[in-house]
Amino acid sequence: MQQDYDVVIIGSGASGGMAAYTLCKAGVKCLMLEAGPMIDIARHRTMKAVYELPYRGFNEPGRFPHITQASEFDANVWIDEKKNPYSYPENDPYYWVRIRMVGGKTLRWGRASWRLSNYEFKGKDHDGFGENWPVTLEELSPFYDRVEPLFRVAGKNEGWAQMPDGKITLDESRDSLSIQRFKASAAKLGVPTTKPRRATGTLASSVNLLLPEAMATGNLTIVPNAIVREIGVDPKTGRVNAVHFLDRRNKREYSVPAKALMLGASTLESTRLLLNSRSRLFPNGLANSSGVLGHYLFDQFYVKNTVVAIVPEARGGKGGRTLMGGAGYIPRFRNLKGEKKNFIRGYAYDFGSGGTPNPELLPAYGSDLMKAMDELQGAAFTMTTMGEALPRYENKVSIHPTLKDAWGVPCLHIEQKYTENEFNMAKDAMETGAAACEGAGFEVLAKHWEMVPPGESIHELGTCRMGADPKKSVLNAFNQTHDVKNLFVIDGSAFVSGGVQNPTLTLLALTVRASEYLIDQKKKGQL
Amino acid sequence: MKRRSVFKSLLGASALAPVAAAQTPQGSNQPTADDAAKFDLTTADAVATPRHKFFSPEQYQTLERLCDLLGPAYNGKPSAKQAEAPQFLDFLLSKSPTERQVLYAQGLNQLDIDARLQKGKAFAALSDGEAAGLLAPLKAKWTWKAPAEPMARFLREAKADVMRATVNSKVYADAGAGLRRATGVNTYWDVID
Repeated sequence: MQQDYDVVIIGSGASGGMAAYTLCKAGVKCLMLEAGPMIDIARHRTMKAVYELPYRGFNEPGRFPHITQASEFDANVWIDEKKNPYSYPENDPYYWVRIRMVGGKTLRWGRASWRLSNYEFKGKDHDGFGENWPVTLEELSPFYDRVEPLFRVAGKNEGWAQMPDGKITLDESRDSLSIQRFKASAAKLGVPTTKPRRATGTLASSVNLLLPEAMATGNLTIVPNAIVREIGVDPKTGRVNAVHFLDRRNKREYSVPAKALMLGASTLESTRLLLNSRSRLFPNGLANSSGVLGHYLFDQFYVKNTVVAIVPEARGGKGGRTLMGGAGYIPRFRNLKGEKKNFIRGYAYDFGSGGTPNPELLPAYGSDLMKAMDELQGAAFTMTTMGEALPRYENKVSIHPTLKDAWGVPCLHIEQKYTENEFNMAKDAMETGAAACEGAGFEVLAKHWEMVPPGESIHELGTCRMGADPKKSVLNAFNQTHDVKNLFVIDGSAFVSGGVQNPTLTLLALTVRASEYLIDQKKKGQL
Repeated sequence: MKRRSVFKSLLGASALAPVAAAQTPQGSNQPTADDAAKFDLTTADAVATPRHKFFSPEQYQTLERLCDLLGPAYNGKPSAKQAEAPQFLDFLLSKSPTERQVLYAQGLNQLDIDARLQKGKAFAALSDGEAAGLLAPLKAKWTWKAPAEPMARFLREAKADVMRATVNSKVYADAGAGLRRATGVNTYWDVID
């Protein structure tokens, strides 16, 4: 049985959910295909003690070679790596972190919600590297304005150009004394500090904030367990005309007609699908006349616990809520005004007060270690670095010649390396963070600059980038492919550069804009 | 007449009454037939002795002593041995990738060899003071990258594993019962399919 849909949406996470929310409320009939199952949050989640788990919280050995975020508590949320393989060069591991479920990665996201600034949108104008986005902060701001209240973003507006103000709930909470001391020390180094800015609520997911309202319109149909393997194109018109998918559970094959397609399967899955959709018209992948599809893969490099320090007055359990607790954020501050550093662009930090340092960091064992842990309980101050990885042509994904997933769909080969620019940035972050801690009177217990492997930040971006020039980009300023007018790509693959900001808020804003453009084009008969 | 009415009339109202009474006892505290029973369950660790799977008897003796040294009882909290960390690690290693199995097996073997060479007895027989020299790599300054030297790398892994296996045990949780903050309890996401 077939029904008539105006738009097929692939993916139900941030971008797919946002597209459904926007389109359905405007009266557009949508079919959403999601590769994973629907989860009943109330039924599928229970409280358990760690000793009840089969591996005492260690996780099943070897189950997640690349998903370091997976714990034994939430192991069933993350993708099955054996059924969904990929490859990378032998000495350059890439950690591809995925969730296949209705709601996608919004079920487990970190929720940090920063706007990009014109230091990103007009990055080439600022330092000559890469390309500008085909959209500016001023053009995207009205869409950020609508997304932030929807996700109940809370934080503090500071009026800084590199950290644009948002339409957010203001966080006026008082900082603990340790945070105040750190902020004062950072200020002496010219390092700005602010409150975290995050989506609030118990879930803050596509599943509770976007899809219910879309469903309530009666215009949305969701099909879970639908693994899309190829997008069909009409050879006469060059337009998308069908989507071919398999049922995840029994591998039965289906096709559904598509008048227009919004592709939001996640950064690398969307590009994989386009590369796998080859035809006589598009022998190198759908919408890839530029040859850029798959290239310019980047993310944000993470240096976890760049600095771990001890607040001396909190030793021996003397911290208390007045001295310890709370968190903050340092936006990019490097290379904003013509500094001479040994790198371009910049990095940000998350920092937090409280907690106990990881015993691994303490040069002791046995009762000496236990004593030290007791002494340092609640006395830690930690900083994590998030740095901009530059978009480079040579960092790319391609279809592996032989490797296929459990459903017979060809897999990705992923190549991304960090360069001296990122390494130098990370070293600067380590030294600056340590100096700020020492200036606050904290004892630096450990510091390092080594980043986690590419991909592990789960901020993979690019490979299907936007741009004004169809020869250098796949999408136009409205996430519409230059080559195929009824095909839009709305997830992180569209990014031209990433800055240091967590990308979800920006891809949500871009999706609202793209969806409204699609509606407008449809009304004009352009689709 | 509907099917349900026909059924009722054939049985008669009085015939149905005892069945209803059995399902919902009047004036008693017994649950109804619709209630699912909930029991306080326990773990296999609490009632049975796990069988050794991976380490040789010599390696296991070394591991037990290493657990003693790395995770002694402290301040009312149980030791690694009380938490049955050696038994658990034996099981965990039996399921682990080969690289990790080799790291542990060679690390334990080398500890015992070094003990015999330096102290003239098995590692399992060393006093705390005698073992200190062999565990000196654990007093080195932390680095992000794992140490290149195999023994230092093994000891770093073992230190983390022994502590985790101890803290995540039921014995440890029971010892902490009554504390203001419960530890080791979290949201578990069930299998969906």
